Formats: sequence, structure tokens, C-alpha cells
Amino acid sequence: MALTKKEVEKIAELARLELDEKEKEKFAEDLSSILGYIQKLSEVNIEKVEPITGGTSLESVMRKDNETKRISDSQMREQILNASPNRQDDYFKVPSIFE
Amino acid sequence: MNLNALTIKEAHELLKKKEITSVELVKAHFNEIKRRDKDIRAFLSLNEEGALEAAKKVDERISRGEPIEMLAGIPAAIKDNILIRGVKVTAASKILENYIAPYDATVIKKLKEEEAIFIGKTNMDEFAMGSSTENSAFGPTRNPVDLERVPGGSSGGSAAAVKAGFSVYALGSDTGGSIRQPAGFCGVVGFKPTYGAVSRHGLIAMASSLDQIGPIARNVDDAAAVFEIIRGVDELDSTSVSPATAGWRDYWNSPLDIEEIKIGVPREYFIHGLNPEVEKNIKSVISKLEKEGAKIEEISLPYSEWALATYYIIMLAEASANLARFDGIKYGYSTMNKKEKLQSLLNVYLQSRGKGFGTEARQRIMLGTYILSAGYYDAYYTRAQRVRKLIKQDFDHAFKEVDVILTPTSPTTAFKFGEKTQDPLSMYLADIYTVSVNLAGVPGISIPIKEVDGLPVGLQLIGKNFDDVKLLKIAKIIETLSK
Repeated sequence: MALTKKEVEKIAELARLELDEKEKEKFAEDLSSILGYIQKLSEVNIEKVEPITGGTSLESVMRKDNETKRISDSQMREQILNASPNRQDDYFKVPSIFE
Repeated sequence: MNLNALTIKEAHELLKKKEITSVELVKAHFNEIKRRDKDIRAFLSLNEEGALEAAKKVDERISRGEPIEMLAGIPAAIKDNILIRGVKVTAASKILENYIAPYDATVIKKLKEEEAIFIGKTNMDEFAMGSSTENSAFGPTRNPVDLERVPGGSSGGSAAAVKAGFSVYALGSDTGGSIRQPAGFCGVVGFKPTYGAVSRHGLIAMASSLDQIGPIARNVDDAAAVFEIIRGVDELDSTSVSPATAGWRDYWNSPLDIEEIKIGVPREYFIHGLNPEVEKNIKSVISKLEKEGAKIEEISLPYSEWALATYYIIMLAEASANLARFDGIKYGYSTMNKKEKLQSLLNVYLQSRGKGFGTEARQRIMLGTYILSAGYYDAYYTRAQRVRKLIKQDFDHAFKEVDVILTPTSPTTAFKFGEKTQDPLSMYLADIYTVSVNLAGVPGISIPIKEVDGLPVGLQLIGKNFDDVKLLKIAKIIETLSK
């Protein structure tokens, strides 16, 4: 299982990661070796086995959607907004999406 | 008196009897940090002022004659992927280099209620991705036992801090062995509770179906004392479980007798790749246990061979999804303001993430993205979830016969820096004995046994889901026996 440089570029784009040329080659090699290893699972007979999402048998739990309880803390709200690299008033400023 | 080698219980008694003050205890730990942490580098940030202030408060309560909680006034080190309000939390990543936590993790809230003292935040592999702390964006931690060797990872800073006498205990997180393996490499106790026993709210997520917070401590009693405080159901973590499911309080009151316990030894864990000296020391504990009256049974966990591949698929998929939140928009490192020219949204994503994440994080994000992409999802992810079921069944079957399963924590002792960084697969193999535990959700603990060539060896005990207390009781028996 060997990934080409082109495939690495495609995956990096899907993953929203910019890579330089040297990294693309290094990643092609390293990713291929790990993908080669995890191919090992194709040896296992999984017929009639149900997939599980976790080790403990969890059931969905619900709670009241009471956001005022969580964000009523004004200091926390301020800290969250201040963590933004580009805050304007109470908004996160983002680059324009439309050309 | 050496204040840097006390257990929680010893420190608690000394504080209560007014033989030491919390301020003295905290100062002793900062002195040791100043003396040795420039070589070990267990910490990413320190909280000296805050710690001394909190210690003073505890001392005032003691001098007024008030009773104090078990952890009150006792120094703790916290892995830097656990949020303490108002304190920098980096996950050892450049992408969070300047991020201040806006709230407390539930475990921190609980420790604050106990008046625990936070010494500082410990180093780790970036986003808990690694087994040596060599993936930290801020440089590796060194093993206090041998500075040329890694402390293990990803909670390497926490294990090193406890071993070096920088803190009495520490919190770590364990996704595939990240508490147990560094505890084993540094010669301390590391406990990963049952999945859901401890709230993950406020833990920076790596792989959500595998992550669990747990204590690193000097002995099993201390691990139990910390577990007792941090565990419990939490409205803010829907996977946390109500403590009503088991008698989680009786660790102290009714210890087990060695003749009552049945220990399983899985033959699949004693095959090629296991260092013969490590094997010898594990086997000698087993024969000692048998001599003292424990029942030892050879068992089989037939799907062990596929555990590591299963673990990697699930971890990679979940990690890539979790790390999608780092986008250079809401918080963390961003290239948005870097250039005068207005950038496109896509470029902000590509560049903030490309520059903010280290090599291992980017590698895992890419692999996870590939595994979850159209056309590959079933072949990798769904298949891994099915094999996970088979691995879980292995444990279910085993625990019908035995109380605990005994294995080595790691196939080798602590390795040297750079030994495994060139080949990511060889690094992944360091987790071969620990990952199944996370897949099955069961609790696991590493306790130090006889060393090999002066390097610590960890023995891993695995318990049944929600049988954490029984696991701790048996760990205590083995700890006493192997001293």
C-alpha cells in the first residue's frame, strides 16, 4: 500500500493542512507504512459481528438545553470571545466567503 | 525529613498533626523543581504564586483547628491537556501556545473543592499523540531515573514530576496507554479508570471513545485516594457513569485476601518482542503470587494480535475529527492577521493548521481523514469497530473466569531519545500491551516491580468494567508483595 505524492496532496487538502514539498514526500512514505500495518485487520473474519462504538455499553442520555446556566458567567463569555484571533465587538470576524 | 518523597497519606497526617505546613511542603517542591527541572523539563508552566496562596489558606484552616480533606494542601501536577480556569493550556502544541482556559475541567473543579494545590502544568506529546514526549512542540521531558532516556508518554511530564519529587501526585490522560506506559518507564503507579468512571469534561480530546483521565502516584493507596475524589457522573460528560453501579467506596475498609483472588495470565502477551529480562521479573511476581496462595490461570485473549491495528484506526479517525475544531478562527494559532492582504477562508484554514500542528498531529489528522473518506470508511473504520467488538468479547470471556489479568505494561524498559522517532511504527509498538484496555473500556493500572539494569519495570493489571476498586485492591496486594 503505497500512497503517491498526488494522493497525499489530496488528503492534505481534505484535512485542511498546508504541506511543503519535502513534507509531502516524507508523509507519502510514513503514511504508507502505517496504512500497510493497519491492513492487517483484513485477516479477521468479521462476518455477523456487530460494530461497537465504545467499550462500555452506553445509552444516550439527555439533559435540558439550558444554555443560560452555562454561559451566564460573563467572565467566561469574555474569555471565550477574547481567545478569538480577530474579535469585533461580540463577533468572531472571518474572511469573506464569497469571491 | 524528605518532603519530596511523601505519599498523600503521609503528607496528610503530617499536615493534620501540624508537623509541617502546606506552605513548607509547597516550597520544598518548588525548590526541587528549581534544582532539577532545567534538566528534566517535566513542566510547561508553573504556578508558584497561586500555589503558595492556596497553601496559606489551607494552613490557616489547620491552625484554626478545622478538619481538612485528604488532598488539601498537597501539591499536584496537572497534564497540560486538562483545563484550569485562567491558566494557559497548550496540549504541548504551538496551535494552543497562548490559549487561556476559560473554565475548569470537572476533575479540576473536584480537586479545588478538596483544596488541592496545583504546582504546574506538565509536558506531554502534542495532543497526547506519542509514547515518549518527543512529540511535544516545546521539547521533550527527560526520565528522572536516567536523563538519556525518555519518560514514556504521552503523560511523560506527569510521571517524571512524581518520580522526581516535583509533586506528590499528578493527573494524566490515557488513550492507548498514556498514563500506564510513562508510569512504568518512570517507576511510579499509573491508573487508567474504567471508561466513563471519571468525567472527561475539560480534557482536550484526542480520541473520545478511548480517552480517560486518571492519577499518577507514588503508590496504589494514593492512586485510589485521588480516584475517589475525581470519579463520578457528570452532566457535562454524557459518557460518564453513575457511581451507583458499584461499591466504589470500600477500597479502604475491606481489603482482599490473597487467597481469594484469581489472576489470569494471557499467553498472547508473552511472545516475541518482549524483553527477556522484563519477562523474567514479571514471571517472578507471578510465581510469588502463586506461592502466597493466589490462583493463577493461563488464559487466552485470541484477538490481541489485531488490537494495535484496531486501536490505530479508531484513534486516527476520532483524532482527525476532534482536531477539526482548530481552524484559526475561534481560538488558537491563526494566520488570519499575518498579511496585509485579505486572505481567503480556505487559506486561513490551510495555513493556520499547517503551521500550528506538529508533524505527528498532522500525520494522524491525514491518516484519520483518509480512513474516514468516501470509499474507505467501511474498509477501515467499520471493520475496526467490528474487531473492537471481538476484542471486547475476549475480555468479557476472560473475566468470567478470573478477577484480574496480569501482563507487562510495556515490552521494554525506557528507551533512548531518538531511538524510535525515525520510524513511527516502531513507536506505535511501544503501546502493544496497553491499547486493548482502552478498546474494551476496562480499567488498567501499572505498578513498579523489580528493575532491569537500574531501569523501572511496570506490571499491568487489568480489571473488569466498573470493578475499579477490586482492581486497586489486588494491585495493592501485588505492590506489597513485590517490595
